[in-house]
Amino acid sequence: MHEISLIRTVFNTLEAEFSPEELSRLQAVDLKVGLLSNVEPILLQNAFAAVTQSEGKYETTTLNIETVPIEVYCPVCDKNSPVKDYKFACSCGRPSSDVVSGTELLIHRIHFAEPASVRSA
Amino acid sequence: MQKIQRSSKAARGTVTCDNTTMHLLKANDFVADSIRKQMAAQNILLLNITSSAGSGKTTLLQETIKRLGGQINIKILVGDLETERDADRLRAVGGDALQIVTGGICHLEAQMVWQAMESLNLDGVDLLIIENVGNLVCPASFDLGEDYRVTLIATTEGDDKPKKYPRMFLTSELMLVSKVDLLEYLPFSVDNVVADARDINPDIDVMELSTINGTGVDAWCNWLLNKVAEKKEAASLAAS
Repeated sequence: MHEISLIRTVFNTLEAEFSPEELSRLQAVDLKVGLLSNVEPILLQNAFAAVTQSEGKYETTTLNIETVPIEVYCPVCDKNSPVKDYKFACSCGRPSSDVVSGTELLIHRIHFAEPASVRSA
Repeated sequence: MQKIQRSSKAARGTVTCDNTTMHLLKANDFVADSIRKQMAAQNILLLNITSSAGSGKTTLLQETIKRLGGQINIKILVGDLETERDADRLRAVGGDALQIVTGGICHLEAQMVWQAMESLNLDGVDLLIIENVGNLVCPASFDLGEDYRVTLIATTEGDDKPKKYPRMFLTSELMLVSKVDLLEYLPFSVDNVVADARDINPDIDVMELSTINGTGVDAWCNWLLNKVAEKKEAASLAAS
């Protein structure tokens, strides 16, 4: 869908949370993208390259994308099952639309280089 | 936003923030919650109507206004990339409609609805319907604060759509199979489409509909009236 705006949201989110000094040391951002999020990892990588180049920032930052499979919860078995062929059901056969994973669109982990003062100490 | 935990287990020379929960659609969901609260305060039922382009959303809403316009107070927000055509069609049958022109954006976001609501007089309104941009992909991810999401699938689209666009059918409470007057001419199986939709969402309600021969239009209007009444009942229970 709208991969460019998602990448801008990643940067806006980071800029709201961290200082310019911290972000100058940003090395990598790990995203979790669920299979139900309608977001295509390759297009997200392309959008990341396009935005960093056109805006001239975060050019040394790496984007890592982990896709998350779809799982549903079954209250009878009290367990999660993977969804296969878009059949939203527990492995016991009972249907369930209680999706516990697969809709994620998260910044999962952020990597910074240590500040220069720490390195020299 | 949750305060981020800074992990001490990072590799040498790096600092890592682990397991953050910074949701990229958080801004949208925050505004959607504000819409939900305002709708609850004013006892207004809010629907988000989605489908592919050309499945009959506007035609269904024209018919709905003709049938229910004298019974309940309905307002409509309609999203399209360009033009006021849909709002004009709804006004032509007496509807009170406001067009949101997205200027190329393929879905409505909660912020667009929130801003449009400022231009609507919602006093005494029973039902606010949002007609989303015709698209089964992106609108599925954007909560607009609705009570119910209603998705149309026209017989002319083919009966394979639910599994191709699972998130939309997963997040809808009601699926309307539209243009059923054409069933005799088309290789479309209502049973197949319902089975596929229920593989994804076992709780989804289904109605068959045709605004040409009138199939299901009464059932749709009754569903709307019931949901409007339920919303008001819930509000009066909460107030007592």
